[in-house]
Amino acid sequence: MRDFVQSLRALLRLKPSQKLTRDYLISLAAAVLLALMVGAGVMLLCGHDPIKGYGALVSGALGKPRAVGNTLAKTVTLCLTGLAMSLAAKAGIFNVGGEGQLYLGAMAAAVVGAQLRGVPAWLVTVLSLLAAMAAGGLYALLPGVLKVRWKVDEVITTIMLNSVAIYFCSFLANGPLKTAERGIATGTDSILKEAAFTPLIKLSNLTTGVFYAAVAALIVWYVMSRSSIGFEMKLTGENDRFARYGGIRTGKLMLWAMVMSGALCGMVGMLEVFGLHKRFLTTVSNEFYFDGMLVAMIMRYNPFGVILMSFFFAILSIGSKSMELSAGVSSELILIVQSIIIFFMAAEGGIRKEFSDRAALRRARASAVRKEEA
Amino acid sequence: MPSSEIVRFSHVSKQYPGTLANDDVSLSIRAGELFALVGENGAGKSTLMNLLYGLQQPTLGEIFIRGRKTGPQHGPENAMCMGVSMVHQHFKLVPGFTVAQNILLGHEPKKGLFYDEAAAIAKTRALSEEYGLEVEPEAVVRELSVGLQQRVEILKALRAGADVLILDEPTAVLTPQESEELFEVIRRIVREKGMTVILITHKLPEVMRISDRVGVMRRGRLEKVLVTAETSEREIASLMVGRDVLFDDLRTEKPAGEERLRLSGLKALSDRGLPALRGVDLSVRAGEIVGVCGVEGNGQTELAECIAGMRPATDGSVTLLGRDVTGCEPRAIRAQGLSYIPEDRMSMGMDAKASVAENLLLGRQRTPAFSRFGLHLRKREVKKHAQELAQAFDIRLSGVDEPASDLSGGNMQKVVIAREFTFGTPVLVVSQPTRGVDIGATEFIHERIIQKRNEGCAILLISADLDELFRLSDRLVTLYEGRVTGRFDTGGITKEEIGYYMTGGRQAAKEGDAQ
Repeated sequence: MRDFVQSLRALLRLKPSQKLTRDYLISLAAAVLLALMVGAGVMLLCGHDPIKGYGALVSGALGKPRAVGNTLAKTVTLCLTGLAMSLAAKAGIFNVGGEGQLYLGAMAAAVVGAQLRGVPAWLVTVLSLLAAMAAGGLYALLPGVLKVRWKVDEVITTIMLNSVAIYFCSFLANGPLKTAERGIATGTDSILKEAAFTPLIKLSNLTTGVFYAAVAALIVWYVMSRSSIGFEMKLTGENDRFARYGGIRTGKLMLWAMVMSGALCGMVGMLEVFGLHKRFLTTVSNEFYFDGMLVAMIMRYNPFGVILMSFFFAILSIGSKSMELSAGVSSELILIVQSIIIFFMAAEGGIRKEFSDRAALRRARASAVRKEEA
Repeated sequence: MPSSEIVRFSHVSKQYPGTLANDDVSLSIRAGELFALVGENGAGKSTLMNLLYGLQQPTLGEIFIRGRKTGPQHGPENAMCMGVSMVHQHFKLVPGFTVAQNILLGHEPKKGLFYDEAAAIAKTRALSEEYGLEVEPEAVVRELSVGLQQRVEILKALRAGADVLILDEPTAVLTPQESEELFEVIRRIVREKGMTVILITHKLPEVMRISDRVGVMRRGRLEKVLVTAETSEREIASLMVGRDVLFDDLRTEKPAGEERLRLSGLKALSDRGLPALRGVDLSVRAGEIVGVCGVEGNGQTELAECIAGMRPATDGSVTLLGRDVTGCEPRAIRAQGLSYIPEDRMSMGMDAKASVAENLLLGRQRTPAFSRFGLHLRKREVKKHAQELAQAFDIRLSGVDEPASDLSGGNMQKVVIAREFTFGTPVLVVSQPTRGVDIGATEFIHERIIQKRNEGCAILLISADLDELFRLSDRLVTLYEGRVTGRFDTGGITKEEIGYYMTGGRQAAKEGDAQ
């Protein structure tokens, strides 16, 4: 968590207004390459063969159908959380509370999935999803209202509300809603079996839930980049005074962005419950939202970029485990690689400005010399 | 005429990222002359003087002060040692200190370990008498008028032993009376004390009146240096713009129509929470332009924002086309029939990070022309619309997808005007339409405002530029400390007279009569 807050400080400087320009993508590619090279250097220092190490990483993430399934499942999680962050940030409000919204969504889905009886299984799935989205969305509304009405800094309130939600869910899973089943330490009752998602690839985490995720991602992408309301959100995020002056109801828009962001997080919680654990467990998320945030920030809240970058981060994340097993390289190495990418992208603006200033100076000198000669 | 050279620029260029602010400028300034440096905004006047004062270093070329070359370590401190001092547009005074404390800051007279108040006051008084610049040494700077604060700045520079004084747009914040007094002071320190004064300005009448020589800058280059007595305002103007300009009186005698905007007893607070409007009554009728003049900071900003719904009114009402819109959201006020050119185009008038096309779209993003079902943005239509407006309003750009921040000040303002003037609303509030805009674009914008008036719009024009107000307005009101202090038909009053009302002078006189 502390690491996370530190990365956050650096990355909040990347404002949503900045576009994904060609220059930026070139810088990003350079940063990724450089980070991988540093990673290789570390492997050499520790006496490992970097080619073997990275080979194990890639084959661990993409080598077997099962691995591909796991990587895709991880991509879905990163992508939805990243889009949740992007959606709110685009409208100028930073939702750092997705982790809590995810927990509440997971809990709501688990309760509905376990308690609802007497309706068809598919309806249980849909209602659980709606319950999860409502729980996440409403929980995100709280800091949204605080921000819009009383100008309370949402970065602080959302971080704080994470703990409230996580411990509240933990209390429920340990107390009133604790399952009577044996062998489950801290979890709720199992959901209706027929309502759960079924695996698409054998033994992998990739389930039919991916279709729901794909629809959600498509909608978010459409809203953000092709719709009138997306345009209004962008202007509100970039210059809310201008947006209000132009007749946009900026407060309302921010609240909607926050609710949609929270609903997406709630959905991620539901996907975990219905795809993987089949019940609420206190380990339902391992700071998933924060990984998604990083992806969103690196890609400057560009929805399409988030989707692509999620896949890359998923490869790193899934591959690192098998890299540890088969090549003996500690999986922490991947954290180094990720941190270096973030480091360079946070400094990117400054580094590029330095280069362009120098180039301008050189051009001016050259043209003056030419004039003198002429 | 004194002829010994005191400052020389030799082939000076200054490169900023993206722009060449000064391009191979060579200029020699003589000791004891009053040299005016004129040019449009962005022509490079201030940059050139910042190089002399050492705030920045030239990319190429050399600067000599009294024959001594300035080195790469040249900074304001160094410049002051060499007798060069600068009074900036925004004063650098400590508001809570007295005049004496400000003038002697860093050089306070001491009695033992302690600050010697009496000596400081005596010193300030002596300085003020020596140069004929009257100030009250014990007055707190915060409570002084802008004109007096400027005088304190000048005294501060003189105390530091300056004999070359750079004044950056000194009359921009002054009333006509205060400007007059400033000219008197400048004349005195040049003629009697033999100082050299460099005056940065873009107001040509003042150049003609007080300067000895004038240097005209355009697009970073020094176009020409002229002897003021041998040139005309028109010649300077055409050098500044690069072509001939004509400023005619654009008013008409057409009678105004029905009342469209009415303010009664309008009160509002400033950003600092102090009363800024203290009961304004005003009405604007169809087909007329009502000009609001006043020294900046007398409630103009708040007035415009209140009407447009960007600032809550604490009392009174705004009636737009017969409907009370006090306390409504900007959205509702626009729908009722108001368009608004805000004075602050960078933070309110546009989103500098968004593209020109997006800036031109705002307000129309859900109309059927640009949005299918109010949901799907028709990007092709948006682009086409932007291209049409860019053409109609002569906005010079490389493409409508470029960010608005890449445009020059004049073109930015044209974007705002293109957007707001095409809503077809019956009422317009136009605030500082040509501030920081070059002469060419100013002409264009004035024509557009007049065109709107002729179409029957009711226009409230708020401006700090008296020439603009006199040129365009049918009626004028003066605003002083949040109150209307005078109402005139434009033909019936001179600029000098208006000045009294702008400073509350006539009001005070009237109150005196009443007693």
